[in-house]
Amino acid sequence: MNPVLNIDGLSVSLPRGGRGNTAVLDALSLTINAGEMLGLVGESGSGKTIAALSVMRLLPKNAKITGDIWLGEDNLARLDEPAMRRVRGSKVGMVFQNPLAALNPSRTVASQIGEAWRVHQGGSARAARARALELLGEVGIPEPAKRLDDYPHQFSGGMRQRVMIAMALACSPKLLIADEPTTGLDPLIARQIMALIARLRRELDMAVLFVTHDLSVIEEHADSVHVLYAGRSVEWGGSAAFFAHPKHPYSEALLGAVPRIGQARLQNIPGNLPEPESRPPGCRFAPRCGYHQPNCDAAYPPAIASGGTAAACLYPLPASQRITYAEPLTKPARRNFAPQLEVRDLAVRYAGQGSWFGAAAKLPPSLAEASFALGRGECLGVVGESGSGKSTLGRAVLQMIPYEGSVMLDGEDFTGLKGAARREKRRRIQVVFQDPRESMNPRIKIGDIIAEPLRLAGAPRSAERETVTKLLDRVGLNPEMAARLPGGVSGGQAQRIAIARALAAEPELIVLDEPTSSLDVSTQAMLLNLLKDLASQAGLSYILISHDFAVVSYMADRIAVLNAGRIVEMNDTAKLIEAPQHKYTAALIGAAPQLHRISR
Amino acid sequence: MSEQIAVAGAAGLPTARLAGFLGWVSKRSTLAAGLALTFIILFIGFIAPFLYPADPYAIHPAHALEAPSWAFPFGTDELGRDNLALVLSGGLATLIVALPAAVLAFFVGLAYGLLSGLAPAWADRLLMRLLDAILALPSLIILIFFASLVTLNNTSLILLLGFISWPGLARLVRNETLAQRGRDFVLAAEQLGGSRFYVARVHLLRAMAPVLVVNGTFMVGDSIFALSALSFLGLGVQPPQVSWGSLLESALDIIALDPWWLIVPPGLLVFGSLLAASLTGQGLLQRWGSGR
Repeated sequence: MNPVLNIDGLSVSLPRGGRGNTAVLDALSLTINAGEMLGLVGESGSGKTIAALSVMRLLPKNAKITGDIWLGEDNLARLDEPAMRRVRGSKVGMVFQNPLAALNPSRTVASQIGEAWRVHQGGSARAARARALELLGEVGIPEPAKRLDDYPHQFSGGMRQRVMIAMALACSPKLLIADEPTTGLDPLIARQIMALIARLRRELDMAVLFVTHDLSVIEEHADSVHVLYAGRSVEWGGSAAFFAHPKHPYSEALLGAVPRIGQARLQNIPGNLPEPESRPPGCRFAPRCGYHQPNCDAAYPPAIASGGTAAACLYPLPASQRITYAEPLTKPARRNFAPQLEVRDLAVRYAGQGSWFGAAAKLPPSLAEASFALGRGECLGVVGESGSGKSTLGRAVLQMIPYEGSVMLDGEDFTGLKGAARREKRRRIQVVFQDPRESMNPRIKIGDIIAEPLRLAGAPRSAERETVTKLLDRVGLNPEMAARLPGGVSGGQAQRIAIARALAAEPELIVLDEPTSSLDVSTQAMLLNLLKDLASQAGLSYILISHDFAVVSYMADRIAVLNAGRIVEMNDTAKLIEAPQHKYTAALIGAAPQLHRISR
Repeated sequence: MSEQIAVAGAAGLPTARLAGFLGWVSKRSTLAAGLALTFIILFIGFIAPFLYPADPYAIHPAHALEAPSWAFPFGTDELGRDNLALVLSGGLATLIVALPAAVLAFFVGLAYGLLSGLAPAWADRLLMRLLDAILALPSLIILIFFASLVTLNNTSLILLLGFISWPGLARLVRNETLAQRGRDFVLAAEQLGGSRFYVARVHLLRAMAPVLVVNGTFMVGDSIFALSALSFLGLGVQPPQVSWGSLLESALDIIALDPWWLIVPPGLLVFGSLLAASLTGQGLLQRWGSGR
């Protein structure tokens, strides 16, 4: 064993809200050996990114660090700034989540990749360029010699992430820190990036600290796993042992919240993450834990190790208690929906940039020949990668953009409708967007946001308060929230507010455009379950648009697969998974987390 | 920001509200300075003329061109008029034209910008090119041109100044409208059946409130400056009524006699008004800059 990084008792506190420092990470200890990948897993607010930034010492100036971070002979927690600068980019490389933000848009990739190498190793511009070429080849950019002088915007999302990785590798670091490098990428691309990092770590005998909120991402490649909750380690150890038998209730809940193909019900984690100021003195997960006992609240539980993993829990789950949500792959197809929405030959072309007098150049269609019908109470899933036209499809159904072809709701075509009649009909199709904060006017109170549809429909003001209270309750929010502005709410809460607003319009159909892709897995599980429950109560139909096949398969009765603006395959969910006809569908299914992988 | 307001509001009592407000302001010294200066200027313009009862047009030939004294705190002009009374009267005359003109320009600019931003692309282009044409001409030149055509009184001056200083805001509002109307919450409101007018009124105006308030404040300063410049050129407030600009102009005629007491007060007040508007605007900008 050859430890590259050894973190011992690392605690970090940050100033929050002008009331002195608050601990955000407590007593973190972990070790990564050369050639190994450790998955540091946690949801937002767990402290995982703080841990990664501490290693690079990229925390805000007023952050307080205690404990040791050993990288070989150097204690990174104690190094002075000049020495730290020699470590960054040379002994430790870092890959961030958003490569477009992390790359300089005005410089070529060759100069950016060569930069770290020249700063640390000196050498000529020519040598740096040669190194850049070598690295681009290593990270799998096709025809690297031709791409050296390209700018970041000329690369696709996945290729940009490869360029970022090449930059991080420029000085052959001993440790690579990857902070959510695959989040936001299409699943097929994300898998390639994951495989690339796994390959590089073996070839270069490099230690990798892989930070992620999604357990399913690291399942295949990580050698060890370290789960954080509310700033403290809850479970850690070998990856195989961990996935075969998670011992901490939070690990189990987190695993159960990841949507997998063939899953009947996602596991909710009730309650909310405690704020750093009000963390419970004992086990921090105790208030949300299904196995909670009185003595859990006394002190933070000691770690109990057995069988390759250790969990900070007084009542670790026994090995016999396997993941209990595993159910047969096929789910019974629901049938006999009354017809509701019919879409025929839908096509959308975005106009190119027009000149002053000339007509705008026609671009290739973003969506072509899309035809499908949707029954009352049915959920149609639409999957595809970015640029496949899935959001365009949703927006055309919503009548937000001009389109060719016809969209009929309850047998009546939108095309002939004008003015108030059109607005009235449009109301019956509602929408929930991806970015929950963008979908609400930040200067309008939550109660007024939800009441907006009522006011627009001319409902009497007297009943408004009651309706708002009822709706907030229905989406699982405290009715007292009505008086607040949306600024301070969490992503999950914001998305619930957006759903409440959509419901207030009493729609027949809701288009859900990536409703959970900006949320943590446990929040996503709660939201998907909420949407499922609402549909069964109200006979509501959904068009669920997502790049995540597992999410779609969990929700949808039928799935349409979009590729390059066309529906390449559409079938009942179970049939589609069992026997995909199109190779693109098969690839998507292959990339999605599946139940059999963990219940092996 | 909302936190502190909410705290003060929850307390409910007027004093608590005031304390909350003062605490909120003092944390933002630029805004505090701007607001304080604004109050001083408004006081000088609208209240002080009634507290200092001397007649600005009474002539005291025996005391012509005297430096400040107990009898005439700001001295007298070459005709022997009480300069303090003139400055106060000129302040009222300046503000009574400049403020309504700024308000007029504000609403014209807002309406034009919203219209252009919400109109179909071809109409938007047309309206914007028209705006370019107006902006291409120096506003002071146009102002002088029109001022020489019409009879100058308060109403015509308000209209002139108002209709000349809106294009800047119109362009800002139009760009802001385009930026905001594609945001998800605007799309959601349209999906709920909100008409274009409703969306503009409820969502766009609120979303661009910082831009409007900040630039509206700046427009007040600009308006005072433009009127003073016009008056300085003899095209503003007409004699016998004086204004800060015309006081400066008449002092300039006898500058060889070094009448510093005739130049400093109106000059400082024009400068102070601009500073008040600018500081208030800057302060609001700091407070709202990141408030998206």
